[in-house]
Amino acid sequence: MFEEFLEEIAQENALREVNTSLKLAAGLGALLLSLLSIGYVAPLFIAVVLSGAILLLARIDPYTYAELFATPLSFAGLSVVAILLLSGGTGALWSWQPLPWLALSVTPGSINQGVYAFCRVLGGTSALLFIALTTPMTDLFVVMRRCRVPVVLVELMTIVYRTIFILLDHLARCYHAQVMRLGYSTRQETLRSLSTLCGAVFIASWNAGEDLVRARDLRCYDGKLVVLGENSPVELRPALAVAGFLVAAACVTVLTGDVAIVRGGP
Amino acid sequence: MSGVILEGRDLRYRYPRGDEVLRGASFHVRRGEKVAIVGPNGAGKSTLLMMFNGMLRPDSGTMLYDGRPIAYGAGSLRTLRKSVGFVLQNPDQQIVAPTVYQDVGFGPTNLGLPADGVKRAVRGALRAVGLEEFERRPTHRLSGGEKKKVAIAGVLAMEPEVLVFDEPTASLDPAASAEIMELLDELNDRGKTIVISTHDIELAYPWAHRAVLMVNGTILQEGVPEVAFGDPALVREACLSTPILLDLCHELEERGFPLPARRPLSVLDMLHTIELIADRRHCCRERPGTIAIFDADLPEAGSLAEWLTSHPGASVGAMGTRAKERAADDRVPLHYTYGVVDKCILRALLGEDTAILTTGGMVRRVFERVEEYSRQSGVEIPVIGTGGA
Repeated sequence: MFEEFLEEIAQENALREVNTSLKLAAGLGALLLSLLSIGYVAPLFIAVVLSGAILLLARIDPYTYAELFATPLSFAGLSVVAILLLSGGTGALWSWQPLPWLALSVTPGSINQGVYAFCRVLGGTSALLFIALTTPMTDLFVVMRRCRVPVVLVELMTIVYRTIFILLDHLARCYHAQVMRLGYSTRQETLRSLSTLCGAVFIASWNAGEDLVRARDLRCYDGKLVVLGENSPVELRPALAVAGFLVAAACVTVLTGDVAIVRGGP
Repeated sequence: MSGVILEGRDLRYRYPRGDEVLRGASFHVRRGEKVAIVGPNGAGKSTLLMMFNGMLRPDSGTMLYDGRPIAYGAGSLRTLRKSVGFVLQNPDQQIVAPTVYQDVGFGPTNLGLPADGVKRAVRGALRAVGLEEFERRPTHRLSGGEKKKVAIAGVLAMEPEVLVFDEPTASLDPAASAEIMELLDELNDRGKTIVISTHDIELAYPWAHRAVLMVNGTILQEGVPEVAFGDPALVREACLSTPILLDLCHELEERGFPLPARRPLSVLDMLHTIELIADRRHCCRERPGTIAIFDADLPEAGSLAEWLTSHPGASVGAMGTRAKERAADDRVPLHYTYGVVDKCILRALLGEDTAILTTGGMVRRVFERVEEYSRQSGVEIPVIGTGGA
């Protein structure tokens, strides 16, 4: 139940009270700059600054953060190895041809390409994690509505959000009840237990829907499903910090576009 | 207490393809009353409650609100449901929104209040249940008691006249139950009519103004709790057991002890009764202790700490969530968190000083309760209001 886990962290991070739009601007701006940058320095800069913010300002547990970062990083590592060996180019520093149709070579160009890709993954991941870890969904709904996302969509999202936790709860309870009565002891039992679990959750979701209708009626429902709370006000210091960060990141992007890690090659 | 606000006449109801769950129930609730509908599981309590705000329509019989039969059109039901707030047994079935603010604001928004009106309603309701700081909390992360309070706040925000609670303390721990019952008292004190259903006869007995004993879809007995639960045969028929204080009175009476006509509702009352039997005027010291009342909403409540240093060994009780939070903030250890006034009077009768930390309208109620006791028992217990109380 990792989703719940992420949302829980976000609900309790130290930047929770900072205006949601500001946090989104920082995260999305950083993501955009990471993607636009043609050099590796800017994404690296963004990754360092945002990771600093996540760990020091939002006070996210470093171990948790490392864990969250590990999955995208391992994928990035694999891609970098592939880019490094396969992208080819001139002035090979090392090469090997194990099979007639397969040539592996490391060139200055492929090194640059690999480092660039890796840093972009770092920048992009930290930007996304920054949003995910500092901004709970409940705050995002408010901003979405303000950004004119259609009411129907926001309504659906709030219902889904509310229902997910009810169903997860039910799922966990049913599952535990099955495990306690040895429901997963043999392969056949597992199959049987899983299917009844699915059925139980389906019925639970059906009931949750009926409960929602009843709860709405009890409380004078008149077509207005979404009530929005308020966003925290924009404060000067966080606003300046976000603006400063975005300007700095933009400058780094523009100025370091042609910095390469290894000279030579294209 | 004037005028009947809710009335049911010979209500009958059968669930589709099921047995008849209500077999001709007639009863009434007066304005400003606290009524407990008590019966075993399956007695039809919840079904009956669901008729109060038109969630269920009786197969036959009439349900009246404020003297007029309930109309079952969409518009009139909305008006009715604004006046008769219903709190379901399971708060998870009642909470519709992801955050506390959004959930409590649901009713007011649908009643057409403007944004700042909704905000005021939400603030007021959350303050009433003692969850002021909870606005942006996600509802799924609250404890059982907090969820219950959010559900109550969601109904309070629509400012109903009557509040109906289906099993208000079901699946709550004793502390949370006591807090909810205290909250119901506070709401009643502010003029709301309150109806609860419960199978906890001990809970209903001291709390209710009137009780309705129900079994098998019919009403067995109705009246003040000592009457409603006074006949052991009827209570047994309802698969319940007589409240322990009433039971004790029966046993004492059977042994020929003369008892006052008014049955005891609490340990304090019982003590009084026993003193009368034993013909010993007050098993207390010459001079009763003082009860000091502090208002937790006022900054001067901090003087409680000073008071405690000048009264070493004194017990402190807190009533209401805000008072308990204040005590925790000020690091004041609490000896009593429920049944506070009675406990403090009991201490005072032993000659000990006590302090009560509470908020708002409860301050006045503490004064009244102690004065009432002094009047009834003839023991003058000094009460002082400190810190603005």
